[in-house]
Amino acid sequence: MRLIKYLKPFIKLFFIAVLFGSFCADNKNLIIKFHHIIGVQQLVLNDSLENSFGEKIVVTKFKYYISNITLINEKKESIPIHNSYFLIDEADSASKKISIPFKWKKITGIEFLVGVDSIKNCSGIQTGALDPMLGMFWTWNSGYIFAKLEGSSTASTVAGHYFTYHIGGYKAGENAARKIKLSIPSISKNNTLNIQVDLNKWFTAVNDIRISQTPICNNPGALAMQFADNYAHLFTIK
Amino acid sequence: MKKLTPILLVFFSILSGIAWIDFSNTTHPVIFKVPKGWPAPVYDFKSNPLTQEGIALGKQLFYDGQLSKDGKISCGSCHQQFGAFATFDHALSHGYNNAQTSRNAPALQNLAWQKTFMADGGINHLDLQPLAPLTAPNEMAESIENVIRKLKADTHYASLFKAAFGDPLINTERLGKALSQFILTLVSANSKYDQVMRGEASFILPEQLGYEIFQKKCVSCHPPPFFSDFNFRNIGLPIDNFLKDKGRMKITNNPKDSLLFKVPSLRNIAITAPYEHDGRFNSLLNVLEHYRKNMVLGPTTDSLLKNRLPLSNFEIGQIRAFLNTLTDSSFLQEPKFAAPGIGNNRKAPIHEH
Repeated sequence: MRLIKYLKPFIKLFFIAVLFGSFCADNKNLIIKFHHIIGVQQLVLNDSLENSFGEKIVVTKFKYYISNITLINEKKESIPIHNSYFLIDEADSASKKISIPFKWKKITGIEFLVGVDSIKNCSGIQTGALDPMLGMFWTWNSGYIFAKLEGSSTASTVAGHYFTYHIGGYKAGENAARKIKLSIPSISKNNTLNIQVDLNKWFTAVNDIRISQTPICNNPGALAMQFADNYAHLFTIK
Repeated sequence: MKKLTPILLVFFSILSGIAWIDFSNTTHPVIFKVPKGWPAPVYDFKSNPLTQEGIALGKQLFYDGQLSKDGKISCGSCHQQFGAFATFDHALSHGYNNAQTSRNAPALQNLAWQKTFMADGGINHLDLQPLAPLTAPNEMAESIENVIRKLKADTHYASLFKAAFGDPLINTERLGKALSQFILTLVSANSKYDQVMRGEASFILPEQLGYEIFQKKCVSCHPPPFFSDFNFRNIGLPIDNFLKDKGRMKITNNPKDSLLFKVPSLRNIAITAPYEHDGRFNSLLNVLEHYRKNMVLGPTTDSLLKNRLPLSNFEIGQIRAFLNTLTDSSFLQEPKFAAPGIGNNRKAPIHEH
Protein backbone atom coordinates (compact mmCIF):
# COMPACT_ATOMS: atom_id res chain seq x y z
CA MET A 1 0.00 0.00 0.00
CA ARG A 2 2.76 2.32 1.03
CA LEU A 3 4.57 1.50 -2.16
CA ILE A 4 1.55 2.38 -4.30
CA LYS A 5 1.31 5.72 -2.52
CA TYR A 6 4.93 6.32 -3.32
CA LEU A 7 4.44 5.32 -6.93
CA LYS A 8 1.41 7.56 -7.46
CA PRO A 9 3.31 10.44 -9.10
CA PHE A 10 5.05 7.96 -11.34
CA ILE A 11 1.72 6.51 -12.43
CA LYS A 12 0.54 10.05 -13.21
CA LEU A 13 3.70 10.65 -15.22
CA PHE A 14 3.08 7.44 -17.09
CA PHE A 15 -0.39 8.58 -18.14
CA ILE A 16 0.94 11.98 -19.18
CA ALA A 17 3.55 10.22 -21.27
CA VAL A 18 0.91 8.06 -22.92
CA LEU A 19 -1.20 11.13 -23.65
CA PHE A 20 1.81 12.96 -25.06
CA GLY A 21 2.60 9.92 -27.16
CA SER A 22 -0.88 9.94 -28.60
CA PHE A 23 -0.44 13.61 -29.53
CA CYS A 24 2.79 12.74 -31.28
CA ALA A 25 1.04 9.95 -33.13
CA ASP A 26 -1.26 12.64 -34.50
CA ASN A 27 1.67 13.98 -36.49
CA LYS A 28 1.23 13.32 -40.17
CA ASN A 29 3.68 13.21 -42.99
CA LEU A 30 3.31 15.08 -46.21
CA ILE A 31 4.77 13.01 -49.01
CA ILE A 32 5.92 14.99 -52.01
CA LYS A 33 6.59 13.05 -55.18
CA PHE A 34 8.43 14.64 -58.08
CA HIS A 35 7.52 13.41 -61.56
CA HIS A 36 9.99 14.32 -64.27
CA ILE A 37 8.65 14.67 -67.79
CA ILE A 38 9.57 16.44 -70.98
CA GLY A 39 6.39 17.54 -72.74
CA VAL A 40 4.26 14.42 -73.10
CA GLN A 41 7.24 12.08 -72.67
CA GLN A 42 8.30 10.52 -69.38
CA LEU A 43 11.89 11.45 -68.57
CA VAL A 44 14.01 8.32 -68.75
CA LEU A 45 17.76 8.66 -68.40
CA ASN A 46 19.82 7.54 -71.39
CA ASP A 47 16.68 7.31 -73.52
CA SER A 48 16.12 9.18 -76.76
CA LEU A 49 13.78 12.13 -76.21
CA GLU A 50 12.94 15.42 -77.86
CA ASN A 51 12.54 18.95 -76.50
CA SER A 52 9.97 21.41 -77.77
CA PHE A 53 12.46 22.85 -80.29
CA GLY A 54 12.54 19.41 -81.86
CA GLU A 55 16.11 18.87 -80.67
CA LYS A 56 16.84 15.20 -80.08
CA ILE A 57 18.23 14.72 -76.57
CA VAL A 58 19.56 12.01 -74.34
CA VAL A 59 19.54 13.06 -70.71
CA THR A 60 22.22 11.44 -68.56
CA LYS A 61 21.89 13.50 -65.40
CA PHE A 62 19.15 15.64 -63.90
CA LYS A 63 19.34 16.76 -60.30
CA TYR A 64 18.42 19.85 -58.33
CA TYR A 65 18.09 21.22 -54.82
CA ILE A 66 14.77 21.89 -53.11
CA SER A 67 15.20 23.84 -49.89
CA ASN A 68 13.60 26.22 -47.39
CA ILE A 69 10.22 24.54 -47.60
CA THR A 70 7.28 26.40 -46.08
CA LEU A 71 3.87 24.80 -45.69
CA ILE A 72 0.68 26.85 -45.54
CA ASN A 73 -2.16 25.51 -43.39
CA GLU A 74 -5.93 25.97 -43.55
CA LYS A 75 -5.64 29.20 -41.51
CA LYS A 76 -3.26 30.65 -44.13
CA GLU A 77 -0.40 30.43 -41.64
CA SER A 78 3.06 29.86 -43.07
CA ILE A 79 5.06 27.25 -41.26
CA PRO A 80 8.71 27.10 -42.31
CA ILE A 81 10.21 23.61 -42.16
CA HIS A 82 13.47 23.94 -40.29
CA ASN A 83 16.62 22.83 -42.07
CA SER A 84 14.85 21.41 -45.12
CA TYR A 85 17.38 20.64 -47.85
CA PHE A 86 16.74 17.95 -50.42
CA LEU A 87 18.69 16.86 -53.46
CA ILE A 88 16.27 15.45 -56.03
CA ASP A 89 18.07 13.15 -58.43
CA GLU A 90 16.44 11.45 -61.43
CA ALA A 91 18.95 8.62 -61.06
CA ASP A 92 17.88 7.92 -57.47
CA SER A 93 14.16 7.15 -57.26
CA ALA A 94 14.15 7.35 -53.47
CA SER A 95 15.28 10.98 -53.70
CA LYS A 96 12.20 11.85 -55.77
CA LYS A 97 9.95 11.21 -52.81
CA ILE A 98 10.38 13.45 -49.80
CA SER A 99 8.55 13.38 -46.51
CA ILE A 100 7.74 16.35 -44.31
CA PRO A 101 6.06 16.02 -40.91
CA PHE A 102 3.08 18.28 -40.14
CA LYS A 103 0.47 18.28 -37.40
CA TRP A 104 -2.42 20.48 -38.42
CA LYS A 105 -5.62 19.75 -40.24
CA LYS A 106 -4.97 20.67 -43.79
CA ILE A 107 -2.27 21.96 -46.10
CA THR A 108 -3.40 24.56 -48.59
CA GLY A 109 -0.11 25.58 -50.11
CA ILE A 110 3.62 25.02 -50.31
CA GLU A 111 6.56 27.29 -50.98
CA PHE A 112 10.12 26.25 -51.58
CA LEU A 113 13.36 27.34 -53.10
CA VAL A 114 14.91 25.74 -56.14
CA GLY A 115 18.52 26.05 -55.06
CA VAL A 116 20.28 26.79 -51.79
CA ASP A 117 20.02 30.00 -49.76
CA SER A 118 23.07 32.28 -49.69
CA ILE A 119 23.78 31.60 -46.00
CA LYS A 120 24.49 27.93 -46.64
CA ASN A 121 26.62 28.97 -49.61
CA CYS A 122 29.08 30.83 -47.43
CA SER A 123 29.18 28.96 -44.13
CA GLY A 124 31.89 26.43 -44.86
CA ILE A 125 31.32 22.73 -45.45
CA GLN A 126 27.80 21.36 -44.88
CA THR A 127 26.66 17.79 -44.33
CA GLY A 128 23.73 15.64 -45.48
CA ALA A 129 22.11 16.69 -48.76
CA LEU A 130 24.51 19.65 -48.89
CA ASP A 131 27.72 17.61 -48.59
CA PRO A 132 30.08 18.87 -51.35
CA MET A 133 30.88 15.21 -51.94
CA LEU A 134 27.58 14.90 -53.82
CA GLY A 135 29.04 16.78 -56.78
CA MET A 136 26.71 19.75 -56.55
CA PHE A 137 29.37 22.19 -55.37
CA TRP A 138 31.91 24.31 -57.24
CA THR A 139 35.16 23.85 -55.35
CA TRP A 140 37.12 26.54 -57.25
CA ASN A 141 34.41 29.19 -57.02
CA SER A 142 32.64 28.41 -53.75
CA GLY A 143 28.94 27.83 -54.12
CA TYR A 144 26.32 25.22 -54.78
CA ILE A 145 25.23 24.04 -58.19
CA PHE A 146 21.47 24.42 -57.74
CA ALA A 147 20.47 22.36 -60.75
CA LYS A 148 22.34 20.08 -63.12
CA LEU A 149 21.13 18.87 -66.50
CA GLU A 150 23.57 16.89 -68.61
CA GLY A 151 23.32 14.77 -71.70
CA SER A 152 23.94 14.74 -75.41
CA SER A 153 22.09 16.03 -78.41
CA THR A 154 22.73 15.93 -82.14
CA ALA A 155 21.98 19.67 -81.99
CA SER A 156 24.98 20.36 -79.76
CA THR A 157 27.99 21.85 -81.48
CA VAL A 158 30.63 20.97 -78.91
CA ALA A 159 32.84 17.89 -78.70
CA GLY A 160 30.87 14.67 -78.17
CA HIS A 161 27.64 16.57 -78.88
CA TYR A 162 27.29 17.06 -75.16
CA PHE A 163 25.23 19.62 -73.36
CA THR A 164 26.17 20.53 -69.82
CA TYR A 165 24.10 22.86 -67.71
CA HIS A 166 25.36 23.53 -64.20
CA ILE A 167 23.23 26.34 -62.82
CA GLY A 168 23.95 28.15 -59.57
CA GLY A 169 25.18 31.39 -58.02
CA TYR A 170 24.24 33.03 -54.72
CA LYS A 171 25.79 36.49 -54.92
CA ALA A 172 23.77 39.65 -55.49
CA GLY A 173 22.97 40.09 -59.17
CA GLU A 174 23.64 36.46 -59.97
CA ASN A 175 21.46 34.65 -57.44
CA ALA A 176 19.98 31.69 -59.28
CA ALA A 177 17.79 30.43 -56.42
CA ARG A 178 14.10 30.75 -57.32
CA LYS A 179 11.12 30.69 -55.00
CA ILE A 180 8.25 28.46 -56.05
CA LYS A 181 4.75 29.02 -54.66
CA LEU A 182 2.10 26.42 -55.30
CA SER A 183 -1.41 26.38 -53.88
CA ILE A 184 -2.86 23.00 -53.10
CA PRO A 185 -6.59 22.81 -53.89
CA SER A 186 -7.00 19.37 -52.38
CA ILE A 187 -4.77 16.65 -51.13
CA SER A 188 -5.18 12.92 -51.31
CA LYS A 189 -6.16 10.94 -48.21
CA ASN A 190 -2.68 9.55 -47.79
CA ASN A 191 -1.28 13.10 -47.82
CA THR A 192 0.63 12.69 -51.04
CA LEU A 193 1.39 15.68 -53.19
CA ASN A 194 2.41 15.00 -56.77
CA ILE A 195 4.53 17.66 -58.40
CA GLN A 196 5.15 17.55 -62.09
CA VAL A 197 8.49 18.81 -63.38
CA ASP A 198 8.43 19.51 -67.10
CA LEU A 199 11.93 19.79 -68.58
CA ASN A 200 10.57 21.46 -71.71
CA LYS A 201 10.23 24.58 -69.59
CA TRP A 202 13.94 24.37 -68.75
CA PHE A 203 14.51 25.44 -72.36
CA THR A 204 11.49 27.68 -72.99
CA ALA A 205 9.55 28.96 -69.94
CA VAL A 206 10.80 32.58 -70.06
CA ASN A 207 13.90 32.51 -72.23
CA ASP A 208 14.21 30.36 -75.33
CA ILE A 209 17.50 28.52 -74.95
CA ARG A 210 18.38 26.10 -77.72
CA ILE A 211 21.01 23.40 -77.27
CA SER A 212 22.24 24.22 -80.77
CA GLN A 213 23.16 27.72 -79.64
CA THR A 214 23.91 27.24 -75.94
CA PRO A 215 25.20 23.77 -75.13
CA ILE A 216 27.15 24.77 -72.02
CA CYS A 217 26.62 26.78 -68.86
CA ASN A 218 28.85 26.10 -65.90
CA ASN A 219 29.32 29.44 -64.18
CA PRO A 220 27.13 31.74 -62.16
CA GLY A 221 26.21 34.84 -64.18
CA ALA A 222 23.83 36.20 -66.79
CA LEU A 223 23.27 32.92 -68.65
CA ALA A 224 22.70 31.00 -65.41
CA MET A 225 20.11 33.64 -64.47
CA GLN A 226 18.24 32.96 -67.73
CA PHE A 227 18.14 29.26 -66.95
CA ALA A 228 17.02 30.06 -63.39
CA ASP A 229 14.15 32.17 -64.69
CA ASN A 230 13.17 29.17 -66.75
CA TYR A 231 13.40 26.57 -63.99
CA ALA A 232 11.26 28.78 -61.78
CA HIS A 233 8.38 27.49 -63.97
CA LEU A 234 9.22 23.80 -63.96
CA PHE A 235 6.91 22.86 -61.13
CA THR A 236 3.15 22.32 -61.25
CA ILE A 237 0.76 20.34 -59.07
CA LYS A 238 -0.28 17.19 -60.87
CA MET B 1 11.34 3.93 0.72
CA LYS B 2 13.90 1.54 2.16
CA LYS B 3 13.52 -0.71 -0.83
CA LEU B 4 13.88 2.13 -3.28
CA THR B 5 17.07 3.59 -1.88
CA PRO B 6 19.42 0.87 -3.16
CA ILE B 7 17.68 0.92 -6.54
CA LEU B 8 18.17 4.66 -6.81
CA LEU B 9 21.76 4.30 -5.66
CA VAL B 10 22.50 1.77 -8.39
CA PHE B 11 20.71 3.98 -10.93
CA PHE B 12 22.72 7.08 -10.06
CA SER B 13 26.00 5.21 -9.93
CA ILE B 14 25.35 3.95 -13.47
CA LEU B 15 24.47 7.50 -14.56
CA SER B 16 27.63 8.94 -13.07
CA GLY B 17 29.59 6.11 -14.64
CA ILE B 18 28.29 7.12 -18.08
CA ALA B 19 29.14 10.73 -17.30
CA TRP B 20 32.65 9.73 -16.32
CA ILE B 21 33.15 7.81 -19.58
CA ASP B 22 31.97 10.86 -21.49
CA PHE B 23 34.38 13.13 -19.69
CA SER B 24 37.33 10.84 -20.33
CA ASN B 25 36.63 11.28 -24.02
CA THR B 26 36.80 15.07 -24.14
CA THR B 27 39.29 16.96 -26.23
CA HIS B 28 41.95 19.37 -25.07
CA PRO B 29 41.07 22.91 -26.17
CA VAL B 30 43.77 25.10 -27.70
CA ILE B 31 43.47 28.85 -27.47
CA PHE B 32 44.29 30.67 -30.70
CA LYS B 33 46.78 33.38 -29.77
CA VAL B 34 46.40 36.65 -31.65
CA PRO B 35 49.79 38.38 -31.85
CA LYS B 36 49.90 41.69 -29.99
CA GLY B 37 48.52 44.56 -32.03
CA TRP B 38 46.95 42.34 -34.69
CA PRO B 39 43.25 42.60 -35.53
CA ALA B 40 40.69 39.98 -34.51
CA PRO B 41 40.70 36.92 -36.80
CA VAL B 42 38.10 36.56 -39.54
CA TYR B 43 37.79 32.79 -39.05
CA ASP B 44 34.88 31.78 -36.83
CA PHE B 45 36.61 29.65 -34.21
CA LYS B 46 33.26 29.06 -32.44
CA SER B 47 32.11 26.90 -35.33
CA ASN B 48 35.34 24.89 -35.21
CA PRO B 49 37.06 25.22 -31.82
CA LEU B 50 40.75 24.34 -31.92
CA THR B 51 41.77 21.26 -29.97
CA GLN B 52 45.05 19.37 -29.69
CA GLU B 53 43.32 16.35 -31.21
CA GLY B 54 41.78 18.34 -34.08
CA ILE B 55 45.09 19.98 -34.94
CA ALA B 56 46.90 16.62 -34.81
CA LEU B 57 44.33 15.08 -37.16
CA GLY B 58 44.58 18.07 -39.48
CA LYS B 59 48.36 17.71 -39.61
CA GLN B 60 48.08 14.01 -40.35
CA LEU B 61 45.70 14.76 -43.24
CA PHE B 62 47.83 17.66 -44.50
CA TYR B 63 50.81 15.32 -44.95
CA ASP B 64 48.82 12.32 -46.25
CA GLY B 65 49.23 11.39 -49.92
CA GLN B 66 45.96 9.44 -49.81
CA LEU B 67 44.21 12.71 -50.47
CA SER B 68 45.44 12.48 -54.09
CA LYS B 69 44.51 10.07 -56.86
CA ASP B 70 47.88 8.30 -57.05
CA GLY B 71 48.53 8.45 -53.32
CA LYS B 72 51.72 10.45 -53.83
CA ILE B 73 50.68 14.09 -53.54
CA SER B 74 49.78 15.51 -50.15
CA CYS B 75 48.99 19.13 -49.30
CA GLY B 76 52.50 19.24 -47.89
CA SER B 77 54.00 18.23 -51.26
CA CYS B 78 53.34 21.69 -52.67
CA HIS B 79 53.15 23.57 -49.37
CA GLN B 80 56.59 22.93 -47.91
CA GLN B 81 57.49 24.26 -44.50
CA PHE B 82 60.99 25.29 -45.56
CA GLY B 83 59.37 27.35 -48.32
CA ALA B 84 56.94 29.05 -45.91
CA PHE B 85 54.37 26.49 -47.09
CA ALA B 86 54.71 27.53 -50.73
CA THR B 87 56.49 25.28 -53.27
CA PHE B 88 60.17 26.05 -52.92
CA ASP B 89 61.85 27.25 -56.13
CA HIS B 90 58.93 26.32 -58.41
CA ALA B 91 56.96 28.71 -60.60
CA LEU B 92 54.19 26.13 -60.86
CA SER B 93 53.88 22.99 -58.74
CA HIS B 94 53.75 19.35 -59.79
CA GLY B 95 50.35 17.72 -59.95
CA TYR B 96 48.93 14.30 -60.75
CA ASN B 97 50.45 12.44 -63.73
CA ASN B 98 53.17 15.00 -64.48
CA ALA B 99 50.68 17.83 -64.73
CA GLN B 100 51.54 21.34 -63.71
CA THR B 101 49.36 23.54 -61.56
CA SER B 102 47.82 26.64 -63.09
CA ARG B 103 49.21 29.05 -60.53
CA ASN B 104 52.14 29.56 -58.19
CA ALA B 105 51.43 27.90 -54.84
CA PRO B 106 50.87 30.61 -52.24
CA ALA B 107 52.59 30.58 -48.85
CA LEU B 108 50.25 29.33 -46.13
CA GLN B 109 50.48 31.69 -43.21
CA ASN B 110 48.13 33.82 -41.11
CA LEU B 111 45.10 32.28 -42.81
CA ALA B 112 42.78 33.08 -39.89
CA TRP B 113 42.70 36.69 -41.07
CA GLN B 114 41.75 36.08 -44.69
CA LYS B 115 38.19 36.40 -45.98
CA THR B 116 38.76 34.75 -49.35
CA PHE B 117 41.26 32.26 -50.68
CA MET B 118 43.11 31.69 -53.96
CA ALA B 119 44.71 34.39 -56.11
CA ASP B 120 41.25 35.08 -57.57
CA GLY B 121 39.43 34.99 -54.21
CA GLY B 122 37.10 32.29 -55.54
CA ILE B 123 36.85 30.42 -52.26
CA ASN B 124 34.79 31.97 -49.50
CA HIS B 125 35.65 29.84 -46.47
CA LEU B 126 38.88 28.28 -45.22
CA ASP B 127 37.20 24.91 -44.55
CA LEU B 128 36.28 24.68 -48.24
CA GLN B 129 39.72 25.61 -49.53
CA PRO B 130 41.28 22.10 -49.52
CA LEU B 131 38.48 20.76 -51.75
CA ALA B 132 39.79 22.78 -54.71
CA PRO B 133 43.34 21.34 -55.02
CA LEU B 134 41.99 17.95 -53.99
CA THR B 135 39.60 17.79 -56.96
CA ALA B 136 41.57 19.77 -59.56
CA PRO B 137 42.61 17.29 -62.33
CA ASN B 138 46.05 18.91 -62.59
CA GLU B 139 46.65 18.88 -58.83
CA MET B 140 45.56 16.00 -56.61
CA ALA B 141 42.98 14.79 -59.17
CA GLU B 142 40.86 12.92 -56.64
CA SER B 143 37.14 13.00 -55.85
CA ILE B 144 35.94 13.93 -52.38
CA GLU B 145 33.94 10.70 -52.29
CA ASN B 146 37.07 8.62 -52.92
CA VAL B 147 39.09 10.46 -50.31
CA ILE B 148 36.40 9.83 -47.69
CA ARG B 149 36.29 6.17 -48.76
CA LYS B 150 40.08 5.82 -48.42
CA LEU B 151 40.11 7.50 -45.02
CA LYS B 152 37.32 5.20 -43.81
CA ALA B 153 39.27 2.17 -45.00
CA ASP B 154 42.35 3.33 -43.07
CA THR B 155 41.55 2.14 -39.53
CA HIS B 156 44.13 4.53 -38.11
CA TYR B 157 41.83 7.44 -38.96
CA ALA B 158 38.78 6.14 -37.08
CA SER B 159 40.56 6.71 -33.77
CA LEU B 160 41.96 10.07 -34.87
CA PHE B 161 38.51 11.33 -35.93
CA LYS B 162 37.01 9.97 -32.71
CA ALA B 163 39.65 11.76 -30.66
CA ALA B 164 39.03 15.03 -32.51
CA PHE B 165 35.25 14.97 -32.91
CA GLY B 166 33.95 12.57 -30.25
CA ASP B 167 32.88 9.80 -32.61
CA PRO B 168 34.61 8.01 -35.49
CA LEU B 169 32.36 9.44 -38.23
CA ILE B 170 34.43 10.60 -41.24
CA ASN B 171 32.82 13.08 -43.61
CA THR B 172 33.66 16.05 -45.82
CA GLU B 173 32.84 18.58 -43.13
CA ARG B 174 35.18 17.00 -40.61
CA LEU B 175 37.92 16.63 -43.23
CA GLY B 176 37.72 20.37 -43.95
CA LYS B 177 37.46 21.38 -40.32
CA ALA B 178 40.42 19.25 -39.24
CA LEU B 179 42.60 20.60 -42.06
CA SER B 180 41.54 24.13 -41.09
CA GLN B 181 42.51 23.48 -37.49
CA PHE B 182 46.05 22.62 -38.51
CA ILE B 183 46.60 25.34 -41.10
CA LEU B 184 45.09 27.98 -38.80
CA THR B 185 47.99 27.34 -36.44
CA LEU B 186 50.45 28.41 -39.17
CA VAL B 187 50.93 31.90 -37.78
CA SER B 188 54.05 33.79 -38.79
CA ALA B 189 54.63 36.72 -36.45
CA ASN B 190 58.21 36.43 -35.33
CA SER B 191 60.33 37.80 -38.15
CA LYS B 192 63.10 40.28 -37.48
CA TYR B 193 60.60 42.98 -38.48
CA ASP B 194 58.22 41.80 -35.72
CA GLN B 195 61.07 41.70 -33.22
CA VAL B 196 62.05 45.26 -34.14
CA MET B 197 58.45 46.40 -33.72
CA ARG B 198 58.33 44.73 -30.31
CA GLY B 199 61.57 46.48 -29.34
CA GLU B 200 63.50 43.22 -29.13
CA ALA B 201 65.86 43.91 -32.04
CA SER B 202 66.90 46.80 -34.24
CA PHE B 203 67.27 47.29 -37.98
CA ILE B 204 70.72 47.74 -39.47
CA LEU B 205 71.00 50.86 -41.63
CA PRO B 206 69.95 49.40 -45.04
CA GLU B 207 66.97 47.70 -43.41
CA GLN B 208 65.95 50.96 -41.74
CA LEU B 209 66.32 52.92 -44.99
CA GLY B 210 64.43 50.19 -46.84
CA TYR B 211 61.66 50.31 -44.24
CA GLU B 212 61.29 54.06 -44.78
CA ILE B 213 61.15 53.68 -48.58
CA PHE B 214 58.67 50.82 -48.17
CA GLN B 215 56.44 53.07 -46.06
CA LYS B 216 56.37 55.61 -48.91
CA LYS B 217 56.08 53.37 -51.95
CA CYS B 218 54.74 49.92 -51.09
CA VAL B 219 52.69 50.11 -47.94
CA SER B 220 49.37 51.18 -49.49
CA CYS B 221 48.87 47.72 -50.97
CA HIS B 222 51.10 45.80 -48.57
CA PRO B 223 50.17 47.16 -45.12
CA PRO B 224 51.40 45.42 -41.94
CA PRO B 225 50.82 43.24 -40.07
CA PHE B 226 49.95 40.97 -43.04
CA PHE B 227 51.82 43.00 -45.67
CA SER B 228 48.76 42.66 -47.88
CA ASP B 229 45.43 44.45 -47.90
CA PHE B 230 43.98 41.24 -49.44
CA ASN B 231 42.41 43.31 -52.23
CA PHE B 232 42.50 42.40 -55.91
CA ARG B 233 44.72 44.54 -58.11
CA ASN B 234 46.24 44.57 -61.59
CA ILE B 235 49.94 45.38 -61.33
CA GLY B 236 50.51 45.45 -65.09
CA LEU B 237 51.56 41.85 -65.68
CA PRO B 238 50.65 41.03 -69.30
CA ILE B 239 48.50 37.91 -69.69
CA ASP B 240 50.36 34.65 -70.21
CA ASN B 241 49.33 33.18 -73.55
CA PHE B 242 49.38 29.62 -72.31
CA LEU B 243 47.72 30.01 -68.93
CA LYS B 244 45.28 32.70 -70.18
CA ASP B 245 44.59 33.55 -66.55
CA LYS B 246 42.31 36.54 -66.11
CA GLY B 247 42.41 36.33 -62.32
CA ARG B 248 39.49 37.80 -60.44
CA MET B 249 37.40 38.02 -63.61
CA LYS B 250 37.22 34.21 -63.65
CA ILE B 251 35.09 34.48 -60.53
CA THR B 252 33.07 37.65 -61.15
CA ASN B 253 32.75 37.57 -64.98
CA ASN B 254 33.23 41.32 -64.74
CA PRO B 255 35.64 42.79 -67.35
CA LYS B 256 36.65 45.39 -64.74
CA ASP B 257 38.24 42.51 -62.82
CA SER B 258 40.31 41.32 -65.76
CA LEU B 259 43.91 40.58 -64.70
CA LEU B 260 43.27 41.47 -61.07
CA PHE B 261 44.92 39.15 -58.56
CA LYS B 262 44.93 39.15 -54.79
CA VAL B 263 47.78 41.17 -53.27
CA PRO B 264 50.10 38.53 -51.76
CA SER B 265 51.54 38.84 -48.29
CA LEU B 266 55.23 39.78 -48.24
CA ARG B 267 55.96 37.80 -45.11
CA ASN B 268 58.76 35.28 -45.75
CA ILE B 269 59.08 36.74 -49.23
CA ALA B 270 62.84 36.08 -49.39
CA ILE B 271 62.20 32.34 -49.53
CA THR B 272 58.99 32.19 -51.59
CA ALA B 273 60.52 32.79 -55.03
CA PRO B 274 59.49 32.58 -57.83
CA TYR B 275 57.01 35.43 -57.62
CA GLU B 276 53.59 36.53 -58.91
CA HIS B 277 50.48 34.41 -59.49
CA ASP B 278 52.22 32.36 -62.18
CA GLY B 279 55.71 32.51 -60.73
CA ARG B 280 57.05 34.36 -63.75
CA PHE B 281 59.75 36.26 -61.85
CA ASN B 282 62.68 34.37 -60.42
CA SER B 283 63.96 37.03 -58.09
CA LEU B 284 62.91 40.11 -56.19
CA LEU B 285 65.11 42.13 -58.56
CA ASN B 286 62.86 41.01 -61.45
CA VAL B 287 59.80 42.03 -59.48
CA LEU B 288 61.08 45.48 -58.63
CA GLU B 289 62.35 45.95 -62.18
CA HIS B 290 58.83 45.10 -63.37
CA TYR B 291 57.32 47.79 -61.16
CA ARG B 292 59.63 50.53 -62.32
CA LYS B 293 60.06 49.66 -66.02
CA ASN B 294 58.19 46.68 -67.44
CA MET B 295 54.61 47.21 -66.31
CA VAL B 296 52.08 47.04 -69.14
CA LEU B 297 49.46 49.67 -68.44
CA GLY B 298 45.93 48.71 -69.39
CA PRO B 299 42.34 49.67 -68.61
CA THR B 300 42.29 47.74 -65.34
CA THR B 301 45.79 48.65 -64.08
CA ASP B 302 45.63 49.71 -60.45
CA SER B 303 45.14 53.46 -59.99
CA LEU B 304 48.09 53.59 -57.59
CA LEU B 305 50.37 52.32 -60.36
CA LYS B 306 49.17 54.48 -63.28
CA ASN B 307 52.69 56.02 -63.44
CA ARG B 308 54.37 52.71 -62.66
CA LEU B 309 56.50 52.74 -59.51
CA PRO B 310 59.60 54.91 -59.87
CA LEU B 311 62.47 53.34 -57.94
CA SER B 312 66.18 54.10 -58.04
CA ASN B 313 68.81 51.35 -57.91
CA PHE B 314 69.66 52.56 -54.42
CA GLU B 315 66.04 52.28 -53.31
CA ILE B 316 65.72 48.80 -54.74
CA GLY B 317 68.77 47.69 -52.74
CA GLN B 318 67.40 49.09 -49.48
CA ILE B 319 63.89 47.69 -50.07
CA ARG B 320 65.39 44.25 -50.56
CA ALA B 321 67.29 44.60 -47.32
CA PHE B 322 64.04 45.45 -45.56
CA LEU B 323 62.09 42.62 -47.22
CA ASN B 324 64.68 40.15 -45.90
CA THR B 325 63.67 41.15 -42.37
CA LEU B 326 60.23 39.59 -43.04
CA THR B 327 61.72 36.10 -42.98
CA ASP B 328 60.49 34.25 -39.91
CA SER B 329 62.98 31.45 -39.31
CA SER B 330 61.16 30.22 -36.19
CA PHE B 331 58.09 29.66 -38.41
CA LEU B 332 60.12 27.80 -41.03
CA GLN B 333 61.62 25.50 -38.40
CA GLU B 334 58.74 25.08 -35.95
CA PRO B 335 58.61 21.32 -35.17
CA LYS B 336 54.84 21.50 -34.51
CA PHE B 337 54.23 22.22 -38.18
CA ALA B 338 56.45 19.45 -39.54
CA ALA B 339 55.23 16.16 -41.01
CA PRO B 340 54.32 13.64 -38.32
CA GLY B 341 57.12 11.16 -37.78
CA ILE B 342 59.52 12.94 -40.10
CA GLY B 343 60.25 16.19 -38.34
CA ASN B 344 61.58 19.26 -40.02
CA ASN B 345 65.12 18.16 -40.72
CA ARG B 346 64.39 18.65 -44.40
CA LYS B 347 66.26 21.88 -44.93
CA ALA B 348 65.74 24.02 -47.98
CA PRO B 349 68.54 23.91 -50.54
CA ILE B 350 70.85 26.92 -50.67
CA HIS B 351 69.64 29.46 -53.22
CA GLU B 352 70.66 32.84 -54.52
CA HIS B 353 67.45 34.76 -55.04
